[in-house]
Amino acid sequence: MGPIELLHMSVFSQRFSPCGRFLAAGNNYGEIALFSLTAALSPEATNLSQKPVLTFTAHEGPVYSLLSTDSQLLSAGNGEISCWNWSDLIKRNPKAIWTRRPNYKTSLEIPEINAMALSPKDNSLIVGGGDNNIYIMDLESGVFKSVLEGHSDYIHCLTVREREGEILSGGEDGAVRIWDSRTAQPVHCIEVYKYQECARPQLGRWISCLTTDSDWLLCGGGPSLSLWHLRSMSPTSVFPISGCQRQAMFYQDMILSTGEGPYLYHSLLGGKVKAQIPCTSPSLNTLALNVHPSEPRVLTLGGSSDHIDVFTNLSYRAFSLCF
Amino acid sequence: MSSYFEYKEESHVTRKNTLASSKALGLLLSSGLGTWQFGIKFVLVHVFSMASEVLKKRKPKVLRSEAGTPEMKRNRGEGDQDLRTYNEEAVLDNRRPEQDYEQYKDKCDVIAKLMGEIQELKASGAKEGSVELEERRRECCIHFVTLKKLNRLAHMRLKKARDQTQDAKQRVDVLHLQLQNLLYEVMHLQKEISKCLEFKSQHEEIDLVPTEEFFSDAPSDISRPHLTKDDPHQLTLARLDWELEQRKRLAEQYKTSLASKEKILKGIEVKKEYLGSLRPGLQSIMQASVPLQEYLSMPFEHVQKQADVARHLPPPLYVLLVQASAYGQACDKSLSVFISGDVDEAKALSKPPEDSQDDESDSDAEEEQNTKRRRPTVGGQLDDKRKEMLKCHPLSLCVDLKCKDGNVLQLFFFYLMNLNILTVKARVSTGIHQSSVVSAGELLNSDTLLNCLYTSDNGKETPNPANRYQFDKVGIVSFSDYVGDQGHPYLWVQSLGGLQFPSDNNPESVLTGSKLSASHMEHTMKLLRSRVQARLALHKQFMSLEKNIVPVSAECQHLFPAKVISRLTRWSAITYQEFEEMPLAQHVLKAGLAQETDLFFMAQVERGTACLQTVVVLNPRYPDVTPLFSLCLLWKGERTGRTDDNLRAMESEVNVFRTELLGPRPGHQLLTNQLQRLCVCLDVYLETESQVCDGVEGPREFPREKMCLRTARGPNRLKPFKYNHPQGFFSHR
Repeated sequence: MGPIELLHMSVFSQRFSPCGRFLAAGNNYGEIALFSLTAALSPEATNLSQKPVLTFTAHEGPVYSLLSTDSQLLSAGNGEISCWNWSDLIKRNPKAIWTRRPNYKTSLEIPEINAMALSPKDNSLIVGGGDNNIYIMDLESGVFKSVLEGHSDYIHCLTVREREGEILSGGEDGAVRIWDSRTAQPVHCIEVYKYQECARPQLGRWISCLTTDSDWLLCGGGPSLSLWHLRSMSPTSVFPISGCQRQAMFYQDMILSTGEGPYLYHSLLGGKVKAQIPCTSPSLNTLALNVHPSEPRVLTLGGSSDHIDVFTNLSYRAFSLCF
Repeated sequence: MSSYFEYKEESHVTRKNTLASSKALGLLLSSGLGTWQFGIKFVLVHVFSMASEVLKKRKPKVLRSEAGTPEMKRNRGEGDQDLRTYNEEAVLDNRRPEQDYEQYKDKCDVIAKLMGEIQELKASGAKEGSVELEERRRECCIHFVTLKKLNRLAHMRLKKARDQTQDAKQRVDVLHLQLQNLLYEVMHLQKEISKCLEFKSQHEEIDLVPTEEFFSDAPSDISRPHLTKDDPHQLTLARLDWELEQRKRLAEQYKTSLASKEKILKGIEVKKEYLGSLRPGLQSIMQASVPLQEYLSMPFEHVQKQADVARHLPPPLYVLLVQASAYGQACDKSLSVFISGDVDEAKALSKPPEDSQDDESDSDAEEEQNTKRRRPTVGGQLDDKRKEMLKCHPLSLCVDLKCKDGNVLQLFFFYLMNLNILTVKARVSTGIHQSSVVSAGELLNSDTLLNCLYTSDNGKETPNPANRYQFDKVGIVSFSDYVGDQGHPYLWVQSLGGLQFPSDNNPESVLTGSKLSASHMEHTMKLLRSRVQARLALHKQFMSLEKNIVPVSAECQHLFPAKVISRLTRWSAITYQEFEEMPLAQHVLKAGLAQETDLFFMAQVERGTACLQTVVVLNPRYPDVTPLFSLCLLWKGERTGRTDDNLRAMESEVNVFRTELLGPRPGHQLLTNQLQRLCVCLDVYLETESQVCDGVEGPREFPREKMCLRTARGPNRLKPFKYNHPQGFFSHR
């Protein structure tokens, strides 16, 4: 990887290992890099310990999504999903256990996979991407058991409400669709761009981040990042963040979000932006929080550079890992 | 009482005392002292005995006063006393002192007895002037007179003894003086003797023939064995005679040898003249053979001349000459090497230092003059020193590298003698008019033409670490200030000359001399050739770029759609300083992808109201290193590759996917293809952007003409910038 390639690198996805000691990150060249957090966080860390312990090419296209199960890492590339054993990766032996692709109908361009979600209850993997459809795969058998059709443009993000058995999806068409995972039928559709409070027509209508917590839904993208009450299906607070947000998450009584612009935003549920913390990348694609009980709590942020910013404290950047 | 008889050394005091004691005696006698008791009588006796002793002691003084001081005599009065003293002197010889002493004692006793009787008489009440008393008094007086006489005698005796002592003393003095004189004479004589003993003769320094040899060699009239056998003095004299004889003979011999030497020298001179007269004849024969050589195309003489001159080349240039001409003969007929410069000066340099000593003294004198003249300016002296340090060898090598299209790369190699490094100046002679292309000014600039032939070899700093210390002495901060005059000391030049300097980077290479040169020659020559070709190709391209035409050759046509609406509107060169100040260059600088040795350009692509500005970093190693583009779009506000993911994607389209854009080998069309792709990407960007933002009312400025499968993809909603050739649609990567 030459310096020019590094200059044009973007990090799209990251995931912590089940043990909490490693971080896998996928970039736009189809590579997955494995960083050792224990080495990077140790007091005698050097520049070398901020480099990946393992880099391997997983897919042809960009790795837009990574997912971690108890023992495996799932990576999504250009229309295909690969599965890697964490134990193999830690031994620096990258070998895919399986690679599968949904049955796409188009043949001209292979649709990308933008989002994946796990439904632990029925041990299935939900995959959404470029062909506007959501595929549900049974992890046990590897069979794609159902397809959810309804979006009119490609899927940006997916999330699962486990207790309710619902799947939520946000897409380029600006709709958040709620599906019943058992019947594979649409339950509801919120067209966020139609709500004056959060619509931003000058930017667009797509929904690029989506997350839920009990009865609350957080979504953003072209429209402003907004908090919705699911039972009443109405926005309760809209966050005044100018950039399009690409990932958001609930953390304790706060909301962490990133997107266009080199900032990590801390927002309060009431709709106030509490902090705007500068990061190294000019725009950010992904944020991940290590919540493993025995490992130090770190927040990592990746975006349009070869750096992954590491926050040991939520309010400032400690250092950066780099490809 | 003791004080009463105290005697002082001074004569008058004693005299007084004597007088006093005699008076006291008189007083005692006259007063009668009738009532005195026995104790007092004893005391008186004692007084008299003491007085007699004193008198005895004082005798000489009194005597002397009588003899030496006439007033004393006159005090006594009578003139007839003189006569008596003569008598007394005569008496003196007859009398003995012991006798006198006995007499004196007797008289004293008598006087004491008489005094005692007087006292007794007085005590018994005898009247003054009675017969007994008078009788006794008279007797006493007579005795006193005797005492007096005794006293005089004693004095005279003393005087006599003194005179005798004086005489004796004088005699002793005379004798002592005599002794001193004699001693001095002895010492003087001893000195003379030692002087004689220490005398050194000159002949002792002469290394004489050993005695045995002398006796065997010398004729008997010189050696005279009968005389010299026993007498070492004679022997030495004889040996000295022999030495003189021998030396005379040798001097004679020396003279004859000199004469014969003179003769031989004259003979040599004559022979030399003869040989010298042969030279013009030979030369004319050589001259006559030149046309024949040319006719037979056997350039013996040229080669020989070059070899002759090459002898005076410094070793690095010689290595370069040998290796370059060897490479030229073996692999590359279009390469030619020749020597230029002042041969005579080089000859003078390579001569032994006897000749140069004169020069040096001359130059010393000159220097003195100079320094006298310039003493106030220290800077001038330093300047001279710097010039001296940076002095080139008078000979230089010129390597001509001909390209297929008739352009020639001329390389001039110089050797800096004092710094022990090679430098190179380059020149491209070409048919193209350079002045017509403004932005190409730097392309064939001889200063930058050969920059970074190998990675990071920019030829600014001297590769010889020792030079650092030499520079410190004369105050040169950096060699880069002098590369304009001296040429560039690229590392590859040192390698071609077989110079190897230790550096931090390559401790493993152990090749030196011609092996090192040979190992670098082929690759370097190929690099040089491709560098010139790349530059000439760029030069040609820049001509049309300045006319706002992006030349796309037929081989590369398939990379782009037929219809490209965005147009290049500006192409200009900028300096590193200008580049540094640009906000859209900061990330490139931060990543360390732009150096001062690179060339920088500014391009502008326009379509309608949108204007895409771009700065291009052109590495000297183009096309091996891809030119780096950095974008900024002025359309509905300003967007750069930092703020807009799609612009960043466009940057990576031109920067990263070099293999697609390289075109036919060796990739001279890379830059123009990149520019053309940029135009295409701008078309796609503008057309799809208006598509996405259909919230805006009114007719679109940029109608969608490109065929796209999807307008956005992935979480960062990238646009389809990839052109698929035969089908003619755009897709995502």
